[in-house]
Amino acid sequence: MISVVRTILILAMIVPSISFSHDNQKHHEGKSKADDLNQCVEPTDVMRKKHFEFLYHQRDLTVIDGIRTKQHSLANCIDCHVSYDSNGIAIPINSEGQFCYTCHIETATKIDCFTCHATIPRYSKKSIYNKINKISMVSQIHSELNKDSHIKYHEQYIE
Amino acid sequence: MNSISNSRRQFLIKSISAAAVIYIIPALSNKTLAAKPPSQKVSNKTRWAMHIDAAKCADGCTACVDACNEENGLYGFNRPKTDPQWIRKIKIKDINTDKVTTLPMLCQHCENPPCCDVCPTGASFRRIDGIVMVNQHTCIGCRYCMMACPFKARSFVHENLTQQLTTAPRGKGCVESCNFCVGRLDSGKEMTACEEACIKEGHHAISFGDLAKPLSRVNTSLKQSPSIKLRADLKLNQRVTYTGF
Repeated sequence: MISVVRTILILAMIVPSISFSHDNQKHHEGKSKADDLNQCVEPTDVMRKKHFEFLYHQRDLTVIDGIRTKQHSLANCIDCHVSYDSNGIAIPINSEGQFCYTCHIETATKIDCFTCHATIPRYSKKSIYNKINKISMVSQIHSELNKDSHIKYHEQYIE
Repeated sequence: MNSISNSRRQFLIKSISAAAVIYIIPALSNKTLAAKPPSQKVSNKTRWAMHIDAAKCADGCTACVDACNEENGLYGFNRPKTDPQWIRKIKIKDINTDKVTTLPMLCQHCENPPCCDVCPTGASFRRIDGIVMVNQHTCIGCRYCMMACPFKARSFVHENLTQQLTTAPRGKGCVESCNFCVGRLDSGKEMTACEEACIKEGHHAISFGDLAKPLSRVNTSLKQSPSIKLRADLKLNQRVTYTGF
C-alpha cells in the first residue's frame, strides 16, 4: 500500500514537470520576436515533437527542387527565435542559454545544423564579422597566384 | 451586310490583341516569366547559362572574384593551394601565337557532369534547371568530384568555419563550388554576383541568363560572337561558354 502511494506521489511529481516544463516559462536569455507570438508555424505541441522532421523534409525540397517557402525553413526559425541583447545585436542561436542550445542540452541531443548554417538572422550585416579585410585578403591571394608566386606566400605564412 | 463586316473586324482586332497579350508581350518582357513563386519547384523550362567574352576581361581586375567572395561569405586562411575559390582568374597563352588571355574560371555547369558521375552518395547533382551543385547535407567529403573535374572548379573546406551567411551555408568536410548564386535565382533575381560586378566595373565580359528566353543577356551575347566550350573533346556540353581568344 505504501509503495502504491509512493508511486502515485512520484508520478504526481514527475508528470506535470514533463508536460509543463516549458509552458509560460521563458527558457532563453534576451528578447526575441517569437516571445510575443502565441504560436509557431505549427501548433506548439506539434513543433516540439516534429520540428526536426519538418526541417529534414524541407532541406531536400530546398536544395534539390529550389522550393524556398518560409514556413518550415531553418532561416525563418532563426529570424524569429534569435534573441537580441540590450544593444540590439543578435546573439547566435546555438550559444549558451539560447533557444536551440537550451532544449538540446536538456534532451542531450547533438545537432549539426550550425556547423554550416548561419546562427544569426539574414540581413543583420551589423553583426557579421569585418568582412572587408578577409575579402581583400582572398583576392590578393588570387592575384598573387596569377603571378605564379605561391612560394612567396607560403614563406610569408611560415614567417 | 455592314453589321457583319463590322463584327468580323472586331473579331479580328480582339483575336489579334488576345494573341498579343498571351504570346508577344511575355516574350518581349524579361520579367513576366521570371519570378518563380517560392513554393514552386524549378523546372527544365529554365536553362541557366553563362557566356564569357575573354577579350573584354581585363588583366588584373578581380571584381568577379571579390563579388563572389562577398556574396557567399568565402574567406581563406592564407593557404593559397587549399583555400576555397569558386571563381578564379587565370591566364592562358596560345602556344602558336603567344597571345595571352585572361579569363574567369568557374564551375562550367556541364550537362554531363563528371563530378556527378563519380559521387558515391549522389550529393553532387545537376538541378533540373542546369545548375550543378553539391548537396552538403549528403556530401561525405571524399573529394572524388574534385579529382574528376577537368576544370579544377571545386574546393574542399578544410577548416572549421564561423560567421557563414544565411544564403550560403558551408562548413568543414564538404566540397563546394559555384552554384550560379542559386539563392538569388530562386528569389527571382536573374543575375549572378560576378556578372553584376563585371557590369559595374564596365567590362561586360560576363553575360548570364536563361537560354529559354530569346532576349536574355546570355542569348544576346551568344548571338554576337561564336562560343567555345573548353575541352570540347570531353563532350561535357557545358553551360558556361567562352569567346574572344
